[in-house]
Formats: sequence, C-alpha cells, structure tokens
Amino acid sequence: MHITDRDYQRAKIFRKLKKFLWLSFLLFPPALILITFIFLPMASALWYSVYEWNGLIRGEFIGLDNFRKVLLDPERNWFFFNALKNNILVFVSLMVIQNGTALIIALFLAREPKGARIYQVVFFLPVILSTVIIGFQWKMFLNPVFGLVNKLLNTIGLNEWALPWLGLPETALPTMILVNAWAWVGFPAIVFLAAIHRIPRDLIEAARLDGGSEWQIAKDIIWPLMAPAVTIIVVLTFIGSFNWFELPYIMAGLEGSPAYSTDMLGLLFYRTAFGSISAGGTEFGVGSALAVIIFLLIFLFSIIATKILTAREVEMG
Amino acid sequence: MSGIEKTNTVRLENALIQIFLATAALFMLYPIFMMVLSGFKTTPEIFMSPFSFPERLNTENFQVIWNKTDVPRYFLNSVIVTLSSIILLLVTGTMAAYAIARYKFRGTLMVSLFFLSGLMLPIRLAIIPLFIQLKYLGLIDNLLGLIFIYTAMSLPATVFILTGFLRSLPKELEDSARMDGASELRIMIDIMVPLISPALVIAGIYSAVPIWNDFFFPLIFIQSPEWKTLAQGLTSFFGEYSINYGVLYAGLSLASLPMILIFIIQSRRFIAGMTAGALK
Amino acid sequence: MAQINMLDITKRFGDLEVISSTTLEINDGEFAVFVGPSGCGKSTLLRLLAGLDELTSGEIRLNNQRIDHLAPAKRGLAMVFQSYALYPHMSVYQNMSYSLKVAKEPKNVIDEKVKKAADILQLGEYLDRKPKELSGGQRQRVAIGRAIVREPKVFLFDEPLSNLDAKLRVQMRIELTKLHKALKTTMIYVTHDQVEAMTMADKIVVINEGRIEQVGAPLELYKKPKNKFVAGFIGSPAMNFFSGKVNKVSSTGIHFILENSDTLLFKKCQKPEVSVGENIQFGVRPEHFIFMKNQTQTINGKVYAVERLGGETYIYLNSKTDNDIIVHCSGDREIKVGENLDVGFSIKDCHLFNSNGWAIDK
Repeated sequence: MHITDRDYQRAKIFRKLKKFLWLSFLLFPPALILITFIFLPMASALWYSVYEWNGLIRGEFIGLDNFRKVLLDPERNWFFFNALKNNILVFVSLMVIQNGTALIIALFLAREPKGARIYQVVFFLPVILSTVIIGFQWKMFLNPVFGLVNKLLNTIGLNEWALPWLGLPETALPTMILVNAWAWVGFPAIVFLAAIHRIPRDLIEAARLDGGSEWQIAKDIIWPLMAPAVTIIVVLTFIGSFNWFELPYIMAGLEGSPAYSTDMLGLLFYRTAFGSISAGGTEFGVGSALAVIIFLLIFLFSIIATKILTAREVEMG
Repeated sequence: MSGIEKTNTVRLENALIQIFLATAALFMLYPIFMMVLSGFKTTPEIFMSPFSFPERLNTENFQVIWNKTDVPRYFLNSVIVTLSSIILLLVTGTMAAYAIARYKFRGTLMVSLFFLSGLMLPIRLAIIPLFIQLKYLGLIDNLLGLIFIYTAMSLPATVFILTGFLRSLPKELEDSARMDGASELRIMIDIMVPLISPALVIAGIYSAVPIWNDFFFPLIFIQSPEWKTLAQGLTSFFGEYSINYGVLYAGLSLASLPMILIFIIQSRRFIAGMTAGALK
Repeated sequence: MAQINMLDITKRFGDLEVISSTTLEINDGEFAVFVGPSGCGKSTLLRLLAGLDELTSGEIRLNNQRIDHLAPAKRGLAMVFQSYALYPHMSVYQNMSYSLKVAKEPKNVIDEKVKKAADILQLGEYLDRKPKELSGGQRQRVAIGRAIVREPKVFLFDEPLSNLDAKLRVQMRIELTKLHKALKTTMIYVTHDQVEAMTMADKIVVINEGRIEQVGAPLELYKKPKNKFVAGFIGSPAMNFFSGKVNKVSSTGIHFILENSDTLLFKKCQKPEVSVGENIQFGVRPEHFIFMKNQTQTINGKVYAVERLGGETYIYLNSKTDNDIIVHCSGDREIKVGENLDVGFSIKDCHLFNSNGWAIDK
C-alpha cells in the first residue's frame, strides 16, 4: 500500500487539528469561568462608574461625575477621606506592630530553639480561623462588663484600664488593630522564617565566627537577604489593610461606630453600593467609582512599592 | 571572650528567647482556649468565674446549637460550597495548568499571563456588576453562584501553583506513554496528574481556607436563611443569642473545630499551602 | 522482517537545521549504533524514527511501507529511554503492562506477555515493586521489558547505559548483545560512547553535526576511516594527528616534512597521488607506535608524562606539533619524564588526510 504525499499531508493536518481541539478543551472551561466571574465584572465596574444609575437601571453617561461626587462633594468626601485616613493608619500600625513582632518571632525561631515546630503551629493557628469567629470572639472578650479582658484587668487591679474598648472613638480602632495583629502575626512570621532559612548557613556562621553579635548579624546579613519576603509582606499587608471589611463590620458595625472612628473604605463602599438597594437611590454609579478609586490606590501602591523594594532586593543579592 | 563565657551568654540568650516565645505562644493560645472552655460553661458561670475551669463539662450549650439553631444547616452549606468549589477548582485548574505547562503553542505566554493577571484583580470591588450578572444568570441566593465565584477567585493562584509542579515532570514520561499508545487525555489522567498529588493538596488547602472562612460574598448574595454559610450564619446566630454567652462561645468553638482539627493533623502541609502563594 | 529506510531526512527547529539530508538503510535483524558527539543529532534521528518529533522533510519506511505519518504507537517500534522513564507511581508489572492496558488487551494475554518478558530479563521477583525500590540496573531492565512486551518490529535505545556505573555498564553491554541474539529483532542504539559502539554493533553510523560521516562495520571504521572526524572519533585514546607538507616526489618514494621539522619518507611508494607542496595531515593511533630501532618513520618528542598501569603504558610526548602525541604500548616500559624519544610507525598504520580532512587512499 503506497502512501501518497497527499495522504501524508492530510495526516499532518489532522494531527494539528487534534492538538488544537485538545488544547481548547483544556483551556475553555477555566477560561470561561475566569472571564464570566472575574474579568467581565471587573471591566463592567469600570464601565459602570461613568454612568448614572437609577437603582439597577443604568442611566446616562456622566463621565467622571461619580468620581467627583466621591472625592470633591463636601457632603460625601469627608467620609471618603476619613475612611482613607483610617485605612492608612491601619496599614502603618500593622506594619510596625504585626509585622515587627512577626520579624522578631521569625528571628527567634530561626535559631531553632526547643519546640520550634510547636511554636510554629501555635502562632499559625489564629491565621486559619475565620475573621468572623475572631471578630465575635474578641468582641465578647472586650465587652466592658462581661468581657474577659476587663475582668482580667480588674482582677489584677488595673481598674482604670478597664475601658469600653470598642465604644470609645479613641480606642476602637487601635483595639481592632491589635486584634488583627493577634490573629495574623503568624503569617508574616512563617514567611519571614522561610526566607531566613533560605539564607546559606555558611554566611551566618562565618559572621558568628568573626565575632558578630546577634543584633549585628540580624541587621547586616539576615535583614538584607530577606528582602524578597519583606516586599511580599509589605504589599500583602497594604492590600489587606485596604480591604479591611469583615473585622470592622463584626466588631463595630457597618457605620464604623463609634462616630466613624472605625470607618473603612470597604465599609464605605458597601454602604454606598448596597445601602441603597432598599432605598433605591442612584448609588451604583458612585459605588463603582469608589471601587475604581480604591482599586487604583491599591494598584498604584503595589506597583510603586514593588519597584522600590525589588530594586533593594537586587542590591542585596 | 573565653569559650565558657561565650556559651553562658548564648545560654542566657536562648533562655530569654524561650521565655519570649513561650509568653507569645501563651498569648496566642489563651484566647482560643478560653473560647472553647467557656463553651462548656453556663452563661451565669461565665460571668461569675470567667477564668476557672468549668464545674463540669457541660455540653448543654452544644446541644442547643445542634438541636435548636440553624448552625448545623449553615455548617452543611459551608461544606457543600467549599467542597464543590475545591473540586471544580482543582479539575479546571489542572486542565489549564496542564495546557500551559506541557505544551508549546503560539500564545503559551499570553495564556499563562491571562490566568496570572487574575491574581491581581480584587474581585470584591467588582461586586456590583457581579451582583447584576448573577442576578441575570439566576444565581442569586443560590449556593451555585458562590461556588462559581470562589472557583473563579482561586483559579489564578491554583493554576500558578500547579503549572510550576507540572512543568517539573520529565518529558520522557510523556514520550514513553505516547509510545505506549496512550492518548493525551490518558497521559494526563494516568500519569502526569497522579505524580503531582502533593501539589493538588497544597493548592486545595491554599484555596479551601479562605473559601470556608469567607463572609463577604454570602453576605451579599445569600438572603434566604436556609442557604447561609457558616461564617455568615454566625452573624444571625449572634443576633438571636446575644446574651447567652455560653451558647455563643459554644457556637464559635464549633465553627472553629473543623479548621483546627485539620490544621493540627496536617499542620505542615497546611502552612506550606497557605504560604505557597507568598513564597512562590 | 524489519528493514528501516530513512530517505533524505531533514529536521529543522526554527532556523536551525539539526539533521541535513540524511539517507540510511538498516537491515533486518541488524544491531545498528548511531554514535557521535553530544548535540550531533543522533538522538534527534532516533526520535524522528520513533515519531516523537516530526520530520521537516523526507520519508521513513518500515519494510518499504511509509510510516512517518503514523503516531508513535502505531509504527511498530518500542523505545528504551536514557532515564528509563518508568512511571514512578506504578509497579513494575503495571509499568510493563501499560501499553497493553491501553490497547485493551484481555487480562490473561497481558499476564502472559508480561511474564514472558519478565522471565527473559529475570524480573520475576520484582513485579510488585515500585521503581524507586529498584537499583539502576533493575530499572533499566524494566524499561527494556516494557519494550519487549510490545513485541515491536524494531527496538530503539536512547543512550540506555549512560546512567549506570562503569562496572554495570560493561555487564549490561554483554546482556544487551545476548538479548539481541536471542530476540533476533532489529535494534537501533544511540550512544556517545564509541566503546559501546565498537563492541555491540553490527553496523556503526557515525554522525556529526546532523550529517552521517560514515557507515560500516566496527573494524572497517577502525581500519579505514573515511575522514579525519571518524578517524579521531573511533578508537580510544584518540588517534594522533600531525600536519606536514609534501617535499619531494621521486623514484625512491615520497618525502614529507612535518610541522616539527621531522621528516618522513614513504619508501618505494607511488601511491598516494600527491603533489609537491600539498598540505597533508597524518594520523597514527597510539597503539600503532613502535619502539624498535631502525624504524623508517619516526617522530621525535620529549616525554612529559608517563602512566604505567602494569599491563600497559601510556606515554605523553611533546613534539612541537599542533597536538601532543600519545603512545599506548602493552607491558611495562621504564620511560622517564624528560626523555627524548623517537617513536616509530609503519606506513600501513599511518592514515593520510588532505587539507579538507578526507582520507587519501594509500
């Protein structure tokens, strides 16, 4: 039986077709899910923000009017900047308190003390718990009268310190920041620990032999070589801080009580977008504009921070 | 510094470190411990003697939760949603990762960037169009809507993790299977995928935890009480039992239980899984 | 019957031509070895045969039937990979039976074929084990067993012995040759090791940069290399090369002047047909140098290293030519470093190459 050149060409084309169909089969379902439930909505959010909305019905094209309302309208923009201020406060505080402590824990664990494994598990435990659970749990603990925190303070005699933590504008936000730090310190701690473990032993041992103190070693060798992990944690902490929603929602409510001292961009967004479904106002557009602004803030920061921090990574080798 | 002195300094340092770590660990565990403990106390007991052990291991609160509240129902919903999402996620994620990792074709780069870019997009901010879209698809107040959203959210990271692992398998395995006559589908199912089972577990855990704990999407998309998931249901549960601290603590404990159990058993995998994204 | 014909095969990866216009015939029952340096294209050629890569142009025929349009599994070939490519999560039995399972053969047929192959390779005890529980040599046998089970018309081997230690390699060489004699199937074997080629092959195909340099039986390639590449590739240690010029052609013979000013006289020799002034390259194998006095052709050099192995000796000379001279003689010689030596050879052991590297007929 003689195979003609034509048969051969046909077989080749057939094979190419089979490959195309197979790849399409593999890629189509995941791509469809991604497009339908992520890319399309995201693109729409951008789209919606430049229109006026009547409840769920889209109205006229109004350009950047929604954005103006959020940023410049005196009735609204107080809320925006107040929430923004709070988000920034959260970010900075968490960087210092949460990630600072995490760094110390990581440095200590890197020396492989007895029980290091158990410590790792213990520190990571709150990370896996739902924010809702943590929020409710601490809300109960912080109850001025029945909560364990104040009961403890009373027991050891610090009665003046037994404040209504979540009820005072001055203490509400700091309290929540501490709760967040308690819950999440394990995550950066483990990431930092892994980064430290990647540093070649010889470098550290050589420095020890050269007579460097622990502090010096940490400052001059470990810290610079951890740069990539630091970059990631900084960016993730920022994104997390600007996405704060569940914790304040549970512990303080949708309005950021008391007195909007715990209002966050996330809460503001939710109120703007959905607080009005029942009211039937025209907030979808404004809400979308707010969403775009928040997205831009996160996006810009991530890019700038990554650029700056990555340059540092490269320097440090 | 003489050898002995140096050892003493080191010993002192180590001791201090232990003290610090132990104190910190206590600080981490104590609240959780108290939460669980208080679940076994009656409400008056909690108020009277908050720090002591319960008089007896009172399971009344837990029984209330089991029999009288909707918490079991919420639990079940969470299980359905999380499990279904993970299955759908791992199947579609593996398919995409396989195409990217094992084949060269025009646009491999574009496709992998396509999936990766999903990582950067904070889907929560597109909640409005998502709401409208789900309404259009009839998936509001429906667990299926949640499943699709969670799958979509977790796909980029999953594809990323799985692609890395699939790439590391030697090409000769594929070639050998081709010579054995296996079709591409068979090669994928019989040979390549079984060899990355640890990666599937890691990707599964990495995605399962945020899905199980999520509160935001059910809050918006689920209105009927029978479809509420655990995290969301706790809110209404708290509303109902706002002064019955005993029951409340029991509820929180019960809700934490699955995660804590799995975590303690699989802690190594768990930690690896959850930090997989950050560590790349 | 399994005769392979490769007709005018070319393979290009993008702009890079890896195999150029190659034509080759392998006869039924032959043990053919593709040998050449890394990157020469020998593995690519094998993969083209197997169907794992597509031809850019040309034809492949099995028993004069074209097969290059067929999928790998349908060509009637089986391949043993360099790293064995055993499925790590399957047992030896499952590895060997996989192809039959895919072909949906009934269980008893599978059982029979696997047992038969296992017997030939003495794998009977290991059928339930997983690859990671086996030694390198055992894994290799499983890889071979997997191929045998498919009852192919041609076996393809891609550097199967490279991952084994030296001793095992020697053992397996003999095993494979025995296997070939037992099965009598055509086998195509790729290696970069010319020792394997020389000891196992019925026919050696020397490949360099995508082209076939020479095809022939092992000793033919050893005695009559067609060009400098083949001459230098076959034989270990490699042939010594030095250049020279034709000085005078007369009735006494041909007179050469070497680059180090030594002279050679090919007495009473009219062949080869060379002209005065022509540049010639000479090749002499290390084992062809002689120490007896009164040799007609000698080359002078200073010893810079001596390796005495007891049963044989390697002597390294610096003789002001392009390359150093290596001499390999049997027995123990008391040669000292720094000695000045005249090493001799006879004309029939001297290979001549023109300036393009092609052998000159003597």
